[in-house]
Amino acid sequence: MKSLYIMGSVGSGKTAMAVGLALKFKQEGLKVAYFKPVGSTTLTSKADEDAILMKELLNMPEPLEIISPIIASPLYLSRGNRSTEMLRAIKEAFTKVSTNTDIVIIDSAIYPYALSTIGLDSPSLAVELNASAIYLINAKNDYTLDESVFHNRYIQSHGVNLLGNIFTHVPIPIQAKIEGVYKPLLADIGFSTLGIIPKQRVLSSPSVAQVHELLGGELLTGEDNLDLLTEDIIVGAMTIESALVHLRRGNNKIFLIGGDRADMALAALETSTSVIVLTGGLYPDVKVINRAMEKGVPVLLVHYDTYTAIERLSELAGRITPKNQNCIRKAIENVERYCDWQGILRECK
Amino acid sequence: MAELTPLLAIHSVAIIGASKKTGKVGNVLVRNVINSGFTGEIFPVNPTEKEIEGLVCYQGIRDIPKPIDLAVVCVPAPNCPDVMEECGKKGIKLAVVISSYFSEIGPEGLKLEKRLTHICNKYGIRMFGPNCEGILDTLIPINASISPSFPMQGDIGFISQSGAILLSIMDWSKTVGLGFSRVFSLGNKADLCETGLIHYLADDPSTKVILCYLEDVRKGEEFLEAASQASQKKPVIVLKFGASQAGALAASSHTGVVGSDLAYETAFTQAGILRARTMTELFDLAKSFSYQPLPKGDRVAIITNAGGPGIVASDTVENFGLSMARFEKETLDSLRENLPLEANIYNPVDIVFDAKADRYGFALEAVLKDPNVDSVVIIVCPTAAADPENIARTIIGLRDRYPDKPIFAIYMGGLALAEGAKMLTRAKIPSFTFPEPAISSISGMAKYTRRADKQTEGEEISFTDIDSNRVKAIFYDVIRDRRSVLLGSEAAAVATAYGISAVPVKLAITPEEAVAIAETMGYPVILKVASPKILHKTDVRGVSGGLNNATEVHNAFLDVIENVQRYLPNVIPYGIEVNKMMPKGTELIVGMTRDVQFGPLIAFGLGGVYVNLLKDVSFRLAKGITLAEIAAMISETKASTLLRGFRGEKPADIMSLIDMIARAAKLISDFEEISELEINPLFSYPNGYAALDIKITIEL
Repeated sequence: MKSLYIMGSVGSGKTAMAVGLALKFKQEGLKVAYFKPVGSTTLTSKADEDAILMKELLNMPEPLEIISPIIASPLYLSRGNRSTEMLRAIKEAFTKVSTNTDIVIIDSAIYPYALSTIGLDSPSLAVELNASAIYLINAKNDYTLDESVFHNRYIQSHGVNLLGNIFTHVPIPIQAKIEGVYKPLLADIGFSTLGIIPKQRVLSSPSVAQVHELLGGELLTGEDNLDLLTEDIIVGAMTIESALVHLRRGNNKIFLIGGDRADMALAALETSTSVIVLTGGLYPDVKVINRAMEKGVPVLLVHYDTYTAIERLSELAGRITPKNQNCIRKAIENVERYCDWQGILRECK
Repeated sequence: MAELTPLLAIHSVAIIGASKKTGKVGNVLVRNVINSGFTGEIFPVNPTEKEIEGLVCYQGIRDIPKPIDLAVVCVPAPNCPDVMEECGKKGIKLAVVISSYFSEIGPEGLKLEKRLTHICNKYGIRMFGPNCEGILDTLIPINASISPSFPMQGDIGFISQSGAILLSIMDWSKTVGLGFSRVFSLGNKADLCETGLIHYLADDPSTKVILCYLEDVRKGEEFLEAASQASQKKPVIVLKFGASQAGALAASSHTGVVGSDLAYETAFTQAGILRARTMTELFDLAKSFSYQPLPKGDRVAIITNAGGPGIVASDTVENFGLSMARFEKETLDSLRENLPLEANIYNPVDIVFDAKADRYGFALEAVLKDPNVDSVVIIVCPTAAADPENIARTIIGLRDRYPDKPIFAIYMGGLALAEGAKMLTRAKIPSFTFPEPAISSISGMAKYTRRADKQTEGEEISFTDIDSNRVKAIFYDVIRDRRSVLLGSEAAAVATAYGISAVPVKLAITPEEAVAIAETMGYPVILKVASPKILHKTDVRGVSGGLNNATEVHNAFLDVIENVQRYLPNVIPYGIEVNKMMPKGTELIVGMTRDVQFGPLIAFGLGGVYVNLLKDVSFRLAKGITLAEIAAMISETKASTLLRGFRGEKPADIMSLIDMIARAAKLISDFEEISELEINPLFSYPNGYAALDIKITIEL
């Protein structure tokens, strides 16, 4: 039985990679299981959402408490140090999950360093579970590469079999730099690049439903279009004269504006907009709702200010759901086309 | 396209929701139809009444034994769709829905309104409203509205988006003796809107002038076509309020003066629409067009019995872009011989304080006969000698003898002149209290005359050397990259494909590549950061110019990348663009923005720092623009003085600019996905031009 620990920073596409690799390996005839030792929950879900997704995709018979045995909130230490019982639970669950499988895909917690204080961070768990690891890099600039190298070295220093790195969500402008500069540099210091995956809209764009879930608030219209994807966030703080220039530059945008700015909201509706978020609890002019309804654009009314809304939106990231076949297909395609999945399988222990 | 003409020939009307109770809308409607003198058949419909206002009342529409031309509906909103179904089954083709609580109250109402429209479409019913006041027609005659006042017969057609304004005007019109032909209340415009009604009124022989009060315009381009066609037959005067139609706003950071209102202004001007700025102006113009013949030109003669008002009027003439007529020698001789010594025989003709009707009559006839006069303003101040009523009689008499020149009276006073002014109004000579509105009206009429003279259309522009497939290919790549803003190199390639001389621009990913490009291009070069996320490159120090050798280019590349990273850490540039540096020319700007209502709008003016300072920009709609219009557009700007060679400078190659703007207009018209295009700066030279920086935004 092999096990592969997928690590990476927030928003580096760990779930998409888990989905892609697991389903690819399954297609290849392997018996695949998924395991997330340290999960987290959201407002709307009591179990870890990745665990729910993978249980369904892989038809795993194990209950969610086995697939993701520990749930750790950002305030997990309030209950004291429960590392011993946590580790025991993880190991027991892992044994159950891994029985009769060829490979277990292990998903790391939201941050690779989460639970480090009690010795349950991802590298430590990889050692405990005897797993090989890959580290995903969402490279934005040279510092983010530094950060990844730092993590690579840390993982290796634990004695984990680190297979290499995969660059994810790579925007077109830096593909050449990754190929021509980053990859050789990493090779020089002993880290192999196992894949360079271009940015994909369906995998990196959150839906309006997610925006609604994150911000809460009252949905004034557009119930039927919550599956629209969002790619940009624009705040309506410009003058009305220059609004269109800015609005036309944002595709499938989330547009944040005070409810009393009917002119701006109407202008936004004439450009590519996925959702209008009205802040400050101000109900809009009836024209805005009518036009939004005609255009099929959801309008969300929230009672807090624009700054708070923006802050909350910073947590927004694309999410795969079992129903979204398009996303799932893309995740597999990414593994097939852009990653050395055969190499990963071969080297994984 | 007067598809409404047969529908609006109304011989029978059903009022659905008719009521017995005085004061209820259903009762007001029945009474209004009866009181307007409608001679056709009236069928009140109400399931619980047997008789209303002496007419047999029907339980339902299907019970009416005869065909019905018009259904007026005033039942509660939720019942309207069922009523409309019944109308459809009965074969009714025209409906006026007075009932409210539709889209004006929000999404629920909008849904109901859409259902109603759907039923109308199903049965081929044309509908006014919902939420409208109805229609009034003085020729049929019928008052199928809730307006208690039924106007006098006249030749003004009036389309109003505001119900309340319509009601007020109907009431007011009687006090000033203004007559209407047909009056329509638009309401929510779920089906019939201004466009169809303008078509109808244009073909209506009983309507001489079309008046619109609008808050927004549905189907902008169709509206312009209708207005443009109509204004070739009769004046179309529009009062447009309601700046909240922000969908129509169009702007770009440099052609910054563009606003929704500007789009309306440009579109209206091009369609030949006369735009009134105030309610007063709207009806002054209506009155003037309705009462008077068109002036043949803009030369105005003024006759006054007092100096001061004459001066005010003369200055106002100039301010409104009209000119003071210069009389022929015969006119001057005759005035000199017959007027007192102290009179001023030149324009303004001052016939002095003791002038009575006979002197007014003489002077008026003299200037009416003068071929250099296109219109006459006659000012009467309440001097001791003035006999306003006799003067009015004289003016009326002369108007009848010289019916081809418009006369405008200014009775400057109150009580003393009231009766004379009334006589003029009754005789359809527009009379005003002060000079400004009178001269403003002449100005509007002269503008219409000028437009009528200019009806010779130029041919549409076409080119044989454009490569639209190249543009398609570039857009395909940009869209695949999920970008709406083209990189400078892409924009330059698009422009080049359309034969616009764009300065060479190439994208470099590495400093070495930049150097290689610069070596091929030739020095000096300028480097600019390439990123659709960066609106103003200089603000983030993303531009480095005057680079003369490989080392400078190499270093500048690294500097620019680092500067941008410092200012915008989350923006990942596509690379750096190497631009060929061009010699300085006259700095111009050509911009384009797609107006949501009226389609692409093209702007031309002085570029660089002058754009924001001087706002020297002129605008046209790009669709169907002719070379003559482009030339006119250039000549409207102050830039044109510079281009013609200012203070010994060599004149610029204006023909090449016209060709360039025509190509840009063609590009915009061919590719609907282009939402904005800006060439700034554009250097104009004595031979040709160079488009230095081209920005193109497309919609995905």
